[in-house]
Amino acid sequence: MDLYFWVFASMSVLAGLFTIAARDALPSAMGLLTVFIALASLYLHLHAPLLAIFQVAIYAGAILILIVFVMMLLMAPGERLSAIQANVSYRGSGALLGLCLIGLVAVGTKGVSNIVSMKGVPEGFGNPSMFGDLFFRDFLLHFEVVSVLLLVALIGGIYLCKKKL
Amino acid sequence: MATLTHYIVLSSILFGLGAIGFCTRRNALILFMSIELMLNAANLLLVAFSNFMADMAGQVMVLFIFAVAAAEVAVGLAILIGLFRHVREVDITKFNVLKW
Repeated sequence: MDLYFWVFASMSVLAGLFTIAARDALPSAMGLLTVFIALASLYLHLHAPLLAIFQVAIYAGAILILIVFVMMLLMAPGERLSAIQANVSYRGSGALLGLCLIGLVAVGTKGVSNIVSMKGVPEGFGNPSMFGDLFFRDFLLHFEVVSVLLLVALIGGIYLCKKKL
Repeated sequence: MATLTHYIVLSSILFGLGAIGFCTRRNALILFMSIELMLNAANLLLVAFSNFMADMAGQVMVLFIFAVAAAEVAVGLAILIGLFRHVREVDITKFNVLKW
């Protein structure tokens, strides 16, 4: 369906613009959250439901939350938050995010299969079992290497946050 | 019907936005978010090509990019907090101790 693409594509571009144009970091993070959710919706359209879930869980749920935590840590307490709440353009972006979420919920209740046609792709393309089959057989070595990378990042993050380096 | 070209153009726009944000903003946290925007544009392109060429490998690549992005953010934010302890500032123009 063409409309589906245009709605979420324009939403992601608008939210991307907002991300780089917002004066404060916190509304900018909300813009980025909108981009993530709009892109997750596009992944559904591209027969990648598992990646759509990962996009919401990892990007929106873990990476962005980490960034917002650091933002809160570095912001002077209570200083800017009231100014952010009073800004009209930030409320507009909040409305955009709300629309995006409502769109995603609408897709969820209607069922992805009603919106996404399986035309042009092989049977079962993009379902989790096929994904896991490829991931843990053909890409097993890469998977192990990535796990080492994450461990190194974890140790590095803990080490860099020590009081005295 | 949205074709591959649509997705390539959308991905280019998002990547361009991220690049512009990275070059023009001075808040270090917004720079991180611009990088995330660029990574997401690359992800979208991988998923789009995976769909239109009916090859699942592109989707697996995206999962690896997720892991790399998570590692990048974890280490990057740790460095940022370390810098903040010294300079008391997230404005990158203030990080000029190594500047000659």
